[in-house]
Amino acid sequence: MSLFSFLGTLEIGFIFGLVAVGVYLTFRVLDFPDLTVDGSFTLGAALAAALILAGVNPYLATLCAMFGGAVAGLLTAWLNLRFNILHLLASILTMTALYTINLRVMGKPNLALIAEPTVLSPFESLGIPNMYMKVIFVAAVVIAVGLLLAWFLNTQYGMAMRATGANPRMAQANGIVINEKIYAGLALSNGLVALAGALFAQTNGFADSTMGIGTIVVGLAAVIVGESLLNSRSMLVIVFSCILGSLLYRLAVSVALNADFIGFTTSDLNLITAVLVGLALILPHFRREWKARKAAQGGAA
Amino acid sequence: MIRCEHLKVTFNAGLATEKRALRGVNLSIPQGEFITVIGSNGAGKSTLLNTIAGDIRSSAGRLYFDDRDVTALSAAARTRDVARVFQDPLAGTCGDMTIEENMALAYGRGNRGGLRLALNERLRQLFREQLSRLNLGLEDRLDAKMGLLSGGQRQSVSLLMSALQPSKILLLDEHTAALDPKTAALVMDITDQIVAEKKLTVLMVTHSMRQALDHGSRTIMMHEGQVAFDLSGEERSQYGVKDLLNLFAQIRPDGEELDDDKLLLGT
Ligand SMILES: Nc1ncnc2c1ncn2[C@@H]1O[C@H](COP(=O)(O)OP(=O)(O)O)[C@@H](O)[C@H]1O
Ligand SMILES: [Mg+2]
Repeated sequence: MSLFSFLGTLEIGFIFGLVAVGVYLTFRVLDFPDLTVDGSFTLGAALAAALILAGVNPYLATLCAMFGGAVAGLLTAWLNLRFNILHLLASILTMTALYTINLRVMGKPNLALIAEPTVLSPFESLGIPNMYMKVIFVAAVVIAVGLLLAWFLNTQYGMAMRATGANPRMAQANGIVINEKIYAGLALSNGLVALAGALFAQTNGFADSTMGIGTIVVGLAAVIVGESLLNSRSMLVIVFSCILGSLLYRLAVSVALNADFIGFTTSDLNLITAVLVGLALILPHFRREWKARKAAQGGAA
Repeated sequence: MIRCEHLKVTFNAGLATEKRALRGVNLSIPQGEFITVIGSNGAGKSTLLNTIAGDIRSSAGRLYFDDRDVTALSAAARTRDVARVFQDPLAGTCGDMTIEENMALAYGRGNRGGLRLALNERLRQLFREQLSRLNLGLEDRLDAKMGLLSGGQRQSVSLLMSALQPSKILLLDEHTAALDPKTAALVMDITDQIVAEKKLTVLMVTHSMRQALDHGSRTIMMHEGQVAFDLSGEERSQYGVKDLLNLFAQIRPDGEELDDDKLLLGT
């Protein structure tokens, strides 16, 4: 792998670290499997690109993108909480609706950012080669978000959110308004995923209506890789293991795609990811069965 | 302190499975009274406690705390006054979170501060002091996962958690039923200590006639969604387990025997 493609892999790994922590918030913290992210990633990219092309300040455009993602998350939470629609289904509805909305936001299937200013522009004059600067920038953003999120999950509000997912009855008995925590969590999660989309569009120079497909699986893969590497109760370690998981996942994929003798192409990525996530979900199951069988044999002997 | 006026709860109203779990409960509990609640399975004991806590909405009747009408208040809002311990030791705590995190959650009851760190050294010290009362060695395991503790240990911690914030009402729903006799006795001991210390108004549901008579100062028996008997004072002090069982027999016109006398007589 060339240095250039290595740096590119890191850059995407960091950006998808945001997706991973977003997915961690819904799947693990809130126990709310949320597939909205496929749509909110694209929404973030679409909003950022469209606004920048319309002459809006890129930082403001990125903020609007996060806000848009948060609204998408709120919509999913509302469908689930207000109308009792199963969370998976509610999120699929939002995701499907977003496909159309994203096309409307962009006005066409894809937008290119070529000479337009981006969040990176102020740093281009620092004299650091562009390919390093991009990685440093996204790493700094993602690490800052990770630190903030770890702090948040240790505040009274964040801990209440964790209790909402872990044991809603207990949470309620301790005065926690659980619906509010679910709204807040989904907004935060999808806001972060949209931020990832906005950063992706600006570092890669385009937004595309299909770019979000499979985001959820990639996010889950990162969470699972991170969890299997580091097993800790510390929120800081957990949040950063999601980000680390994303980096490792990207590196693994990139190595697989670069190994010519295997013959994978980019279009094989979704299948590889699905198989990896599937394995990660299946293995603990087998391990439990295997342990149970061993225990049963031990008891009989 | 607590006043129930003609409280009614109907599950699945209008359906074939309609169940009138509370059929007009009238109950007035003065500040600081400790009431034990008995009654056969399905009598409506848990429903009564859940309705007072706000988990279940009453379909008719009114509920007052201190002359304040709380009938329309949400469960979360009522936790300013109400603390509770569930029968299932797993229900009252988060197994995935640490002991100190669980206690911090309970400490936040009634005054959720928002974006301040939920834990600090001062709180840890408070939690250690509280946990050392249990004599279970948990004060040295603040950062252990709750899920690693035994049922009895978890229930003991739940009880401490219920008393971390000043509340006025403590609702205990068979909170020792899932424990072995020795742990149950320990948990009852701490219950009595906490109730006396904090001068709480208590409703304790129990399956054990012995427990019902030995604790608190008043015993009510529920039957088919109503308060069938209400014993206190002189009269109650002369009651034994046998007399309570006779009461049970009386309110069952079909003369049906109790499902499980052992259960009722136990500990
Ligand atoms: N959520 C519910 N939905 C339907 N029926 C319920 C529900 N909760 C309790 N019941 C019924 O209400 C009656 C009273 O239940 P409960 O208060 O739990 O009795 P117990 O005195 O044993 O605690 C029972 O017949 C029970 O089956
Ligand atoms: Mg019950």
